[in-house]
Amino acid sequence: MKNNHIDNDNAEQNHAAYVSMKGVGHKFDPRPDAPMVVENIDLDIHRHEFVAVVGPSGCGKSTLLRMVAGLLIPSNGQVSVFNRPVTEPRDDVGIVFQKANLLPWLTVRKNVLFPLKHKYGRYSANDEKRANELLDMAGLTQFADKMPDELSGGMQQRVGIVRALLLNPDILLMDEPFSALDALTREQIGFDLLDIWKEHPKTVLFITHSITEAVLLSDRILVMSKRPGSVLDLIDVDLPRPRSSETIKSTRFAELTDTIRGYIYEPHVPA
Amino acid sequence: MNPTYLPKSWLAQQVNRFAPALFFIGLVLLWELVCSVGEVPNYILPSPSAIFSAFFDVEMSRWLTHLWATLRVALMGFALSIAIAIPLSIGMMRSELMNRVLYPALIVIQSTPVVAVAPLIIVLLGTDDPSRVLITCLITFFPLVVSTTTGMLETPPEMIELSQSLRAPRYRETWQIRIPYAIPHIFSGLRVSITLAIIGAVVAEFVAAEEGLGYFIQFSTSFFKIPQAFAGLIFLSIISLLMFKSIQWIQMWLFPWSLPKKK
Repeated sequence: MKNNHIDNDNAEQNHAAYVSMKGVGHKFDPRPDAPMVVENIDLDIHRHEFVAVVGPSGCGKSTLLRMVAGLLIPSNGQVSVFNRPVTEPRDDVGIVFQKANLLPWLTVRKNVLFPLKHKYGRYSANDEKRANELLDMAGLTQFADKMPDELSGGMQQRVGIVRALLLNPDILLMDEPFSALDALTREQIGFDLLDIWKEHPKTVLFITHSITEAVLLSDRILVMSKRPGSVLDLIDVDLPRPRSSETIKSTRFAELTDTIRGYIYEPHVPA
Repeated sequence: MNPTYLPKSWLAQQVNRFAPALFFIGLVLLWELVCSVGEVPNYILPSPSAIFSAFFDVEMSRWLTHLWATLRVALMGFALSIAIAIPLSIGMMRSELMNRVLYPALIVIQSTPVVAVAPLIIVLLGTDDPSRVLITCLITFFPLVVSTTTGMLETPPEMIELSQSLRAPRYRETWQIRIPYAIPHIFSGLRVSITLAIIGAVVAEFVAAEEGLGYFIQFSTSFFKIPQAFAGLIFLSIISLLMFKSIQWIQMWLFPWSLPKKK
């Protein structure tokens, strides 16, 4: 049985590599001459660290996330969580998908409870209480009995986050979770995510194609090259927390985004 | 300027609203006119008024007997076809081998004209309900299999990943994700199938029956009671339409989320 609730205050564990990728590479086509999607990724994520991954479209960011989730087994190298190789999906991982991925035939509350219903076939009154608390935390109480399509995109994605938190995972994997939202909603939900993260510390792997979002939210940023995706740089985001809209105005914020932009956009080649 | 923004008179609004009904009434009036002006004999093309009076020439209890016979066969065939099609679709979705083996067989069954097979089925199973139900089932189950399978296979990969990330048993993936996702598809299949079920029942009655609307139409025609045959035909269309609507009502009642959103 995997231990989902490791002592929170064990400093040594917190600073050890919690999620570790060593020489991770993947290709979907098993033939030897087939092209790699991601290549040679080395990354150690500490416990309760917020790591963002940015890179151009198709660089294999989502593939990387799926390998950490145990949904894909890497062709090369190894992903391990707490020194155990990941060979299948783990109980202590929650996934937030792009576009919420809610089930349209269930109410908001039942969507949040779906992981229990789906995994064990039932849930208790206590679980329902927990779902209500999580919904309350995300400011969704009044929408609990609505159907997903009655909610705005931002609200739907909040439900998606709450659903991922239901089983109290230690690792939260987020696959471009806010990419379908408009800019204003996107910024607000980002700050809300940081509040949740502060209250319920998780190890977060956050895939995004928004450079500002990555800088605003994370502790470190993995910058990936275009396909086959490999590590271009690993940037420490030394901005103070709590972050706010003031953070965006700081010069350091601008420097960091510029550095990353330099990696993502290739130098202009005159025609 | 866009003409839709111009205010319309009350009359124009009402005409627009009842356009489908008005078109239908116009068609019936035209039919009546052609029959009376052209002096078309009733045994060639009966006028709507002749059909209407023929309807009352037949006792209500006789209508109900025929109606029930057709409806009974249609609904039994339809139910049997649901009972076969849904499990079959799940099997074909789950097993690639089953899909490869069964799909060609289904195509063969579907492309064989049921009308041509019907007499053979009667020879095989006799002239009672079982053969009529089987004929109805044969004509209805293909659209159901296709729509159910398509719906389940179109389930977004992220929903399947959600299931896999929870390491849920596969029957729950089918039952809690794929089947609900396929509901809108299943219902469009059911709408097609229910009208086919009426056709199937009538085809079966044409081949061998002592009651039913199909039998009644054939019987009336052979005695040159053409207005009566037309009355039966209209009865049949109404039943078919009602069945089609019932499927929509059931969907609205049980799965309101599965209906297309109104703008």
